[in-house]
Amino acid sequence: MAANMRGLTQFIADIRGARVRELEEKRINKEMANIRKKFKAWCSCHAADGNLDGYQKKKYVAKIIFTYILGYKVDVGHMEAVNLISSSKYSEKQIGYLAVTLLMHENSDFLRLVVNSIRKDLDENNEVSNCLALHAIANVGSSEMAEALSEDVHRLLISPTSQTFVKKKAALTLLRLYRKHPTVIPAAEWALRLVSIMDDQDLGVVICVTSLIMALAQDHLDAYAVCYTKAVDRLHRLVIEGEYSATYAYYKVPSPWLQVKLLRLLQYYAPSEDATLRSVLHEVLQTIMNNSAEPSRNVQHNNAQHAVLFEAISLAIHLDASSPLVGTSAVLLARFISSKETNVRYLGLDTMAHLAARADSLEPLKKHQGTIILSLRDKDISVRRRALDLLYSMCDTDNSELIVGELLRYLKVADYALREEMVLKIAILTEKYANSYKWYVDTILQLISAAGDHVGDEVWYRVVQIVTNTEDLQEYAAKVVFEHLKSPSTHESLVKVGGYILGEYGHLIANDTGYSPLEQFQVLHSKSQFCVASTRSLLLSTYIKWVNVFPEIKPQLINIFERYRHVLDAELQQRACEFYSLASRPDDDEVLQNVCEEMPPFPPRVSALIGRLNRKLGDTEDKRTWIHGGKEMNLERHANSRKATLGPGSSATGTTTVTGNTDAQDVMSSLAGLNLSSPGEQSDPSRVDSSVVAPRVAVGPSVEKWFNKLIYSADGVLYEDVQIQIGIKSRYQGHLGQLAIYLGNKISVPLTSFTSTIHVNDSEALSATFAKIPPNILVPRTQSQQLLHVECKKAFSSFPILTVSFLAGAHQSVSIRLPISVTKFIEGVKLGQADFFERWKVIGGPPREAQAVFPITLDGAGQLDLVRYRQVVSGNHLEILGDVDPNPNNLVAAGVLHTSVDGKVGCLLRLEPNREAKLCRLTVRSTSEDVAAEVLRLIEKLLRLDS
Amino acid sequence: MISAFFIFNQKGEVLISRLYRTDFKRSIADVFRIQVVSNSDVRSPIITLGSTSFFHVRVNNLYVVCVTKTNANAALVFEFCYRFISIAKSYFGKVDEESVKNNFVLIYELIDEISDYGYPQNSEIDTLKSYITTESVISSAIAAEESSKITTQATGATSWRRGDVKYKKNEAFVDVVETVNLSMSAKGTVLRADVDGHIQMRAYLSGTPECKFGLNDKLVIDKNSQGGASDAVELDDCRFHQCVRLNEFDSTRTISFVPPDGEFELMRYRSTSNVKLPLRVIPTVNEIGTTQVSYNISVKANFGNKLSATNVVLRIPTPLNTTGVDCKVANGKAKYVPAENVVVWKIPRIQGGQECTFSATAGLTSTTTRQVWARPPIDVDFEVLMLTASGLIVRFLKVFEKSNYHSIKWVRYLTKASGSYQIRF
Repeated sequence: MAANMRGLTQFIADIRGARVRELEEKRINKEMANIRKKFKAWCSCHAADGNLDGYQKKKYVAKIIFTYILGYKVDVGHMEAVNLISSSKYSEKQIGYLAVTLLMHENSDFLRLVVNSIRKDLDENNEVSNCLALHAIANVGSSEMAEALSEDVHRLLISPTSQTFVKKKAALTLLRLYRKHPTVIPAAEWALRLVSIMDDQDLGVVICVTSLIMALAQDHLDAYAVCYTKAVDRLHRLVIEGEYSATYAYYKVPSPWLQVKLLRLLQYYAPSEDATLRSVLHEVLQTIMNNSAEPSRNVQHNNAQHAVLFEAISLAIHLDASSPLVGTSAVLLARFISSKETNVRYLGLDTMAHLAARADSLEPLKKHQGTIILSLRDKDISVRRRALDLLYSMCDTDNSELIVGELLRYLKVADYALREEMVLKIAILTEKYANSYKWYVDTILQLISAAGDHVGDEVWYRVVQIVTNTEDLQEYAAKVVFEHLKSPSTHESLVKVGGYILGEYGHLIANDTGYSPLEQFQVLHSKSQFCVASTRSLLLSTYIKWVNVFPEIKPQLINIFERYRHVLDAELQQRACEFYSLASRPDDDEVLQNVCEEMPPFPPRVSALIGRLNRKLGDTEDKRTWIHGGKEMNLERHANSRKATLGPGSSATGTTTVTGNTDAQDVMSSLAGLNLSSPGEQSDPSRVDSSVVAPRVAVGPSVEKWFNKLIYSADGVLYEDVQIQIGIKSRYQGHLGQLAIYLGNKISVPLTSFTSTIHVNDSEALSATFAKIPPNILVPRTQSQQLLHVECKKAFSSFPILTVSFLAGAHQSVSIRLPISVTKFIEGVKLGQADFFERWKVIGGPPREAQAVFPITLDGAGQLDLVRYRQVVSGNHLEILGDVDPNPNNLVAAGVLHTSVDGKVGCLLRLEPNREAKLCRLTVRSTSEDVAAEVLRLIEKLLRLDS
Repeated sequence: MISAFFIFNQKGEVLISRLYRTDFKRSIADVFRIQVVSNSDVRSPIITLGSTSFFHVRVNNLYVVCVTKTNANAALVFEFCYRFISIAKSYFGKVDEESVKNNFVLIYELIDEISDYGYPQNSEIDTLKSYITTESVISSAIAAEESSKITTQATGATSWRRGDVKYKKNEAFVDVVETVNLSMSAKGTVLRADVDGHIQMRAYLSGTPECKFGLNDKLVIDKNSQGGASDAVELDDCRFHQCVRLNEFDSTRTISFVPPDGEFELMRYRSTSNVKLPLRVIPTVNEIGTTQVSYNISVKANFGNKLSATNVVLRIPTPLNTTGVDCKVANGKAKYVPAENVVVWKIPRIQGGQECTFSATAGLTSTTTRQVWARPPIDVDFEVLMLTASGLIVRFLKVFEKSNYHSIKWVRYLTKASGSYQIRF
């Protein structure tokens, strides 16, 4: 394209040839003047004949772009660029888009003019124009564009006529828009439609869409829950069935990028309850691990395998940290952390830290403790950092002394960038896993004197808190601090700790030789001249405490106050003056004693250190699903983030939920003992239900009729429209049931991306799972059968909902109630008259009796429709007892409800229709009041129907 | 003292590299390239990095650099650099990348001669020319003789002059050259006006002449107590050639000297009061809406009608978004030069008292980001012969020589402006 623009080539050659900057500038000035002249002339008469044709415009805009890229300011040509976009020639359009994306920043006013042209290009049938437009949207990504065009981009993505490469670009454009303007995209609404593209034939499209879904699902877990099945299915097809085209195999690994993304996506969700999914997933992970058991010679092959493997291990840990899979992976990881390759070591340590963060037992890891400690001395700093994280995560009471000792030793030679973090981690570990307080004090003081500047204030605050709260420790701490202070160079933090502890507890050791008040005073005071004002004021407070407990050194102390009364620092001066007058009061005065009472213990509070540590982990890209630290820490975090997602307004800020909570824990306020997480806890449980979105159920008279019929019969049609037909065959045995769902495709094209999901409202009471992952294509004019296993655990009152979605041109989805009622799990029992009435009486009246009177219609002959009544009652699995009631019109029935959790529940029924009054009385008695009411409701509804 | 001497081109490539001492390696040149040449923020001519100081002077896209580790006298180092430049100029005319490359052997010879172990030595051009020549080698006998003379001269009382100069016709030429600097505000008030002057002398005098030189300088006039002479000029500071006897100047204010043979700069001075502006420029520039700018500029020659200004060039800035300029002039030629965003108006000659006018309209194009035009100043270049803007006049030049020959003296005056005669509008 540039080849035939002679002017441009010449211009570039001239600029390249310019020997000095001044010449270059002159050449550019000249060219820009020429362009200005040309554009001006064009502007003034373009209505008439437009003496500047598309080619020239393209050439000049290209020159402007080149000038702009060189770093010169360009303030003409924007209008021409906008005009070029609407040109019909590809090369002109391309230059126009290039200019728009380069010259205009995202808040530029000109973008408003472009939006319409871009929309036109998006709507066009020409894929090339589509792509150019998508590029421009993704590159500029202004909020205005996002609002105006995200719908069109979405349409391109879902349109069945779009080429695969357009779909890919559209998915990535949406991803970019979502990352920049998360609010613009109705993520939840598009969820089903987007997830259905994960079944696309083309793996490239699947990769792009998966990237998009990964971003969306992180913030809308529930809306995108369908993708779990899809991801598992896709993994199964990729890894086990090898269903991929040769172009997508990278060094024999089937599309490692897609695998990694899918495995990562699965980690965002809590492990599935569905046994089928679990077993498929297990099989997939097992295969992945087996595949990578033997390292290959080829570096690329290895890389691809490892990428997938590490993600698979992470997922395995996420699913169940105690499964045998994790055991295998621990062995693999152990091999990796002593690998020769830095990248592998890094990933190995990182994944091991994940394992340590989740696993119940750290034993397998402890075997490699030596290797890990050696990694602290790795030549690569990022590996050292991971080793540090891992040690931090795998520390517990057994190995804490060893690990902390090792870290302390390493601290002295550690990289400066690493030290602050190390100090925090050592401090946390020491506090958390201390076996004895003595060890704690020793270690922390050693830490303070070793790390000096890298010790944040939180560390010494915490020491003071703990010493104050632990009485046995005080004397020992005072002694150790004193010893540390004696060394010639001490860090300021140590002076602060010393000042506080000796001030409070110095008197406990004053009688021992070598710790006399005078010596304490001299040691502490000799440090004060090297300290900043805040430390000195702390020391002054120490002195006033000593005035109280050590009368023998009072003159020296008063002397110091006297001197400090004249320092320039206002704070110091004020303290000195106040303390001076306090100390110079007569000896029998009580004020001093009262002021210098011993400090009361601090209220127990959360360590500020962890908050500080978490604040340091900012996450910018994909969320991690775990944090460093032991199992409890992860559990705690999980609870926190759970609260955060339920909390008000959290979905909008979704991306920061992990750190958000901990950020809020400001250091000072946590020291003050405030529980900042309380607002989260107040969210009431009712929100939980509302957050789980129930699909909207299809309605219609025939749907209702089919459904009601199925309530009291085992087989029949559940749903039918022009495209599909759904039929049901069911079998129940005790508390278990099996439904065969027949899905029929009535049209002549295949239904693709076929997804069926079951939504159970009350999963405590009823479980429903498919026997295997349903196929995602329904070939024309055929039927497919899916087996659904149901289990009744307790009495329940709502029907499970089956959602079927598929692509037949457009995306369609049907949700229908499944006729699984509590009565399906009832088995009839034969009872004699005496037995029946005895039980009837034992159960007694309300609340274990439910009764209703309702009108009925008579059949054509004006008689009671007894046949139907019998049918309904026995259809609900209740045994009709013939000779119990003397009135032949009355129906009496009995049954036992089988549940796996609550056991068996008896149920008795009496139906008394009255022909004259056209009324009917239905009474149900059951040992469980819930069951009585539910059975009454179900049967009454069926009987009432025809009235 | 100076430890190393370099010449860099615009890109930072080393053209000349001479290490006078062993405390640096050649790679110190890279430090300068990285820290100064490629760093556009650096404006200071002295950069000190650690204990190393770089002094640089820019001339025609070349960097002349001296490097030192000691606390050297900065003024001396810069004087050395400028002296090198003037020597190079007198040897091969122009100092630029090409001439440096063409004469690199000569340059190495010169810098070895004018500095020993980093200490500056005799840098008198005429003296240097007597033994560092660009011509082919002269016969060895004469060369030996010459070299012995050089020794006596360099160590004698007047190191800048040989004793045995002889001319048939004894002549001395004095050129007083003044450069006027002006910046005038849009309202016509003078913000700054000063004159940089130097007196250039060419002496072709036999023997060892003793010269005395007199100006209408206020110091001298007051000293002679003639009482408030109106034409006295106040000179702010004077610098003299090394041949001028400074102690005599300090005590009696007379400028007496034994001139070197040939051309040299006798003195430099600066004057800031009573500067006469040779050209008066009255600009009227109006921005009409956002699409046009109209210019109306008149230039008036503000001196006697016997004199004339030549080579007058006005550079009239145009806005950055100018598309074209339509000029009308009565005298000279005017042309829009887009490369520099100016209209150049050239007038070959303006007679004293004459007035020339220029009118033009510039068309503008619309821009994306509306910016106010900064209105840079109009720049005027010109030359006026036989006029000094400061009013300085040479009152006398006397030559005393043992042989008492007759000498002819010529005095010439020139006032010029180039690049710093600016009028805002």
